Amino acid sequence: MEVSRQTINAIETERYTPSLPLALALARYFDSTVEEVFDGGNDGVQK
Amino acid sequence: MEATMVFRSKWFLPLFSLALGLAFGGALWAGGEGRAGVEAVTLMTVVGLVFLVGGRSEMIRGLRGDGRDEYWQRLDVHATALAGHVVIAAILVMCMWEWGHGRDGSPFVQLGAVAGVAYIVALGLLRWRS
Repeated sequence: MEVSRQTINAIETERYTPSLPLALALARYFDSTVEEVFDGGNDGVQK
Repeated sequence: MEATMVFRSKWFLPLFSLALGLAFGGALWAGGEGRAGVEAVTLMTVVGLVFLVGGRSEMIRGLRGDGRDEYWQRLDVHATALAGHVVIAAILVMCMWEWGHGRDGSPFVQLGAVAGVAYIVALGLLRWRS
């Protein structure tokens, strides 16, 4: 995964929303799903 | 589909700075401003050297391109747009300044027209390509 430390930091602090390919790569890296990594397993459903 | 990083050689920006400095220097020298030409070459060479040896800084790597990923690309697009807005605002203010002083607004009117046409053409091209 070729992204800079600053990019990871920006994603962690929610200052940057990654592209779909990067989101998928991050989810794969953590052996998880995009929803779990970026939405806390919330399935994106706002109630 | 892969997350990609844009790599540009770390030599590109330093050499571009040097080339720009030489072009400025040449133009000033041709206009009879030899001393200013030497100063321009010196200044741009120093800028190029800063880009070349400043690779420990992520900011420098992002600027010169060898550390540029999608986040940096987004910053680059936003920074370019902001810089464009600043320039266009300055052009508009200068147009009004020139008109307010009874002049015809040159060259700011022409620059403003170029900016407007370039924006519309760019928008059309990008729309057509996407």
